[in-house]
Amino acid sequence: MTNYFYVSPEQLTKDRAEFAQKGIARGRSLVAALYDEGVLLVAENPSASLNKISEIYDRIAFAGVGKYNEFDRLREAGIRWADGTGFTYSREDVDARALANYYAQHLGDMFTEGQKPLEVEILVAQLGNKIRPTKLYRIAYEGTISDESRFAVLGGDAETIRGRFAATEEVIHPLRETLKNAVSALAGPERSIETSELEVGILEDRGARRTFLRLNDEQVSELLR
Amino acid sequence: MGLPLYDAHNDPGPSFFQYAQSAGLSTTSSPTAAFSAHATTVIAVRYDQGVVMVGDRQATGNYIASRDVRKIEPADRFTAIAISGTAARGIEFILMAQLSFEHYEKMTDSALSLEGKANYLSPIVQRNNLTTPLIVVPLLAGWDPSHQVGRIFEYDGAGGCYERFDFATIGSGTPFAESALRLGYRTDLDREAALELGALALYEAGDNDPSTGGPDFVRNIYPMMVTITSEGFQELSSDDVAARFHAINDRRTQSGGVAGGTLR
Repeated sequence: MTNYFYVSPEQLTKDRAEFAQKGIARGRSLVAALYDEGVLLVAENPSASLNKISEIYDRIAFAGVGKYNEFDRLREAGIRWADGTGFTYSREDVDARALANYYAQHLGDMFTEGQKPLEVEILVAQLGNKIRPTKLYRIAYEGTISDESRFAVLGGDAETIRGRFAATEEVIHPLRETLKNAVSALAGPERSIETSELEVGILEDRGARRTFLRLNDEQVSELLR
Repeated sequence: MGLPLYDAHNDPGPSFFQYAQSAGLSTTSSPTAAFSAHATTVIAVRYDQGVVMVGDRQATGNYIASRDVRKIEPADRFTAIAISGTAARGIEFILMAQLSFEHYEKMTDSALSLEGKANYLSPIVQRNNLTTPLIVVPLLAGWDPSHQVGRIFEYDGAGGCYERFDFATIGSGTPFAESALRLGYRTDLDREAALELGALALYEAGDNDPSTGGPDFVRNIYPMMVTITSEGFQELSSDDVAARFHAINDRRTQSGGVAGGTLR
């Protein structure tokens, strides 16, 4: 016979949160920030092919930290949702806020009802236009959603990095400065990050429908010089 | 629409068509072909730097439904897709192709090969055409960045995909366009010669096939002319196309409507 012991909801939530936080803390962090002409996403990522940053739609990007298989599945679902919504209605009806809400609901459900909470923290970034604002939606492992209008930091060391970045980013800078500040905030005072260990993507209007651009090592080095 | 999450064993992968089917987004074919606008001529000619495509602008049912349809569209930067057949399903077909190539690129962070794109369309053509014969027959042409050549793929109604190394045509104007192409095609065509031949073949089709719209000098509506090269998909300006069709028309007027013994 199996015995079930009573666990209070407070204890259960605390245990699950600790579990998820531990998982997220194992990975490297990520900074997303507005610059004067768009949105910058920078992740510390030793892998050149297992991406943390991705294009979702014309003006929407995705970023995730934590367990790769878990956030990559969410990324794929996001692309499907966006392409499916645009196919059913119109391209202009694809809204990052709606997607962020779906993510928040799913992460919330997994946190309370799943076998284990997802060990991820994700971000949905939207480059604004006439009908929508530029926004960064940050969604935590338990489904908490927050909309940031300047910058967001994801990952285990988020608080420290946030402090460092906030000190340098009191105003919105051009891309070059924003990238430099983000990289030094990620690295901290005692270390530096190789260009090859950085994954950088931007959302910027360049006259085309799709605004996402992944920057390669040469472009990143040039900007950091 | 909720968040489309799948288990690993029933995941549709990077194929938008598979996903759209599993999520019930795409419609199934219905037997309305006879009532919808159809009939077309689209031509693709391969030349040394890429592919030229020329397409008429007319949608025809029992009467002329539209005079300014765009039957050639960029599917992505290096690929053009053209359609013949039922207009409604053709437009959906182009949308599906465009979205699919972009979807694949976003899902996998790498672009499909041109051959991959050509093969991907086969089951869609097959699904469209099995219940009702020949609702949509597409034509795919593009610049293949991995082999540095222009390539043309044509389809039969059962979804078979065939690469053509010279030229291809789709639509009801095919017999007339193809005759002109067969006489005029050379293996050493350059851009100008390919454009000239393509325009001439379309002029022939417009002249002989009631369902193909030739140059419309009254309304200033001219066939679409595009090139796909290492520079990507480029559409010729309306003025440029107008000048080419005026030149052909002037020659024909001078010779009393006959080609005059030479292909010109």
